[in-house]
Amino acid sequence: MMYTLYLERDSLIHRLDPRVKIIGSFFGIVALILFNSPLLLFSIFLLIVSTLVLLGKITIKEIFKALKPIIPISIVAMVIWPFILKPWYFGLFIGFGYGIRLLSVALLTLGLIMTTPQRDLILGFIKMGMPYGIGLTLTIALRYIPTLYILAQTIMDAQKSRGLELEKGNFIQRAKNTVPILIPLIVASIKTAHELSIALESRAFGASKRRTFLYNIKMKARDYIALGIVSALFFLAVYARYFLGIGYIELF
Amino acid sequence: MIEVRNLWHVYEGRKEALKGVSLTFGNEIIALVGPNGSGKTTLAKHLNGLLKPTKGEVIVDGMDTRKYSVAELARVVGYVFQNPEHMFFEENVFKEVAFGPKNLGLSEKEVEERVKWALREVNLEGYEDRSPYSLSGGEKQRLAIACILAMKPKYLILDEPTTGLDEKNAESVKKIIRNLHREGHGILLITHEMDLVLELAERVVLLYQGQKVFDGDVEEFFELDLRKYDLDKPKLLKISEKAGLGFVRDVEEFVKALEMRT
Repeated sequence: MMYTLYLERDSLIHRLDPRVKIIGSFFGIVALILFNSPLLLFSIFLLIVSTLVLLGKITIKEIFKALKPIIPISIVAMVIWPFILKPWYFGLFIGFGYGIRLLSVALLTLGLIMTTPQRDLILGFIKMGMPYGIGLTLTIALRYIPTLYILAQTIMDAQKSRGLELEKGNFIQRAKNTVPILIPLIVASIKTAHELSIALESRAFGASKRRTFLYNIKMKARDYIALGIVSALFFLAVYARYFLGIGYIELF
Repeated sequence: MIEVRNLWHVYEGRKEALKGVSLTFGNEIIALVGPNGSGKTTLAKHLNGLLKPTKGEVIVDGMDTRKYSVAELARVVGYVFQNPEHMFFEENVFKEVAFGPKNLGLSEKEVEERVKWALREVNLEGYEDRSPYSLSGGEKQRLAIACILAMKPKYLILDEPTTGLDEKNAESVKKIIRNLHREGHGILLITHEMDLVLELAERVVLLYQGQKVFDGDVEEFFELDLRKYDLDKPKLLKISEKAGLGFVRDVEEFVKALEMRT
């Protein structure tokens, strides 16, 4: 079972400050939107993959596994273009670029999650100005995914013991069969959330506006260098796109 | 007759939860005891097919659990889970109890009869139109038993049936268990409460680290050094032994023995 996408490794990317990784991913996504030349987009995609593999010690197999759910969507994005653009092979070519762009955006986000522990990621966002309440909500939501998964298993077992057949039947029957699972699950979740809010309040949550952190993050020289490189690359991309006119194909 | 033969269960190829457990039981009240993580629940989940053996086999009235689905086995082995709320989803008590028998494909009339019977059995008559979630803790536990009972299983597994209940509700659950046993049901109690074992069980099976370390009658069981298994003797038994009254099963028996002596 997969609790989280995070992969424990000892790599340069893993050691970077989460803020650098967040800004880097953001720049990457913006850069991907700037261009529409399929060849350039494909090169950026390869650049992201090789960065993750070489600097993040993530294997190609793991990248493929993470991207698998996105592949159908990107194929749809690809095959739509030949209907819009003529001639069809030009449309397919552009569509290929759009498909790759989608995959790249997903890979950047996934790469961030794969190389940063949840705690650091949320701390990074909070340090960048996200309200603590939202950060905490996110942490709790992520923390409760495995708990709810186990709860769902228990409820399924309980209903199976009452003769509920989960494996049999057509699509509609199967959809109907989820009701006896979903209702107890929702009720239990709401109860847990309510108890959690009481527990938080009884531990003086929200008593002071500015809170301190037991575990803190600090930007090191390495992080500033990485931030410099990422920013330089980003401004280079903007310069290339708007002043040199590279990487953009006029479509209409 | 439920037969467990040399049962092994390994979770996700790593954790060995059961290591060669054998057990046979019929129409009796068996208490399945052991510390947390000793494999009690794992063993119980094999009896109605929720888990399938990694090695060995479980035969329920001649049916190999590997060849039958949980829904099919549910007609013979009922499993009442620890938290009743994990099974409630209907708008009222009647529909809730009817869910099980309906899944068995019974006629509407038969379903209605069974629901009435099951509610009577757990003393919840007149609650038909209440919402299951609006009931008290003890009523919820009894409703949970009724939901399983309505499927008329020959064997009943009860996971911690009295935990968290007050004295009065615990007492009524015990009464239900005794009644069902008298009517010929085989009952397996999973419990940590040694008082319950002392009061109800006819036979005790003790699991420890995935192995059966004791299987025998209640009196013999309480002669074991239970602290070795993170369990303890009921206070009543300690008192009665100190008083030189020997083995008693409940306060009533204790008082009677005391009166006999004086």
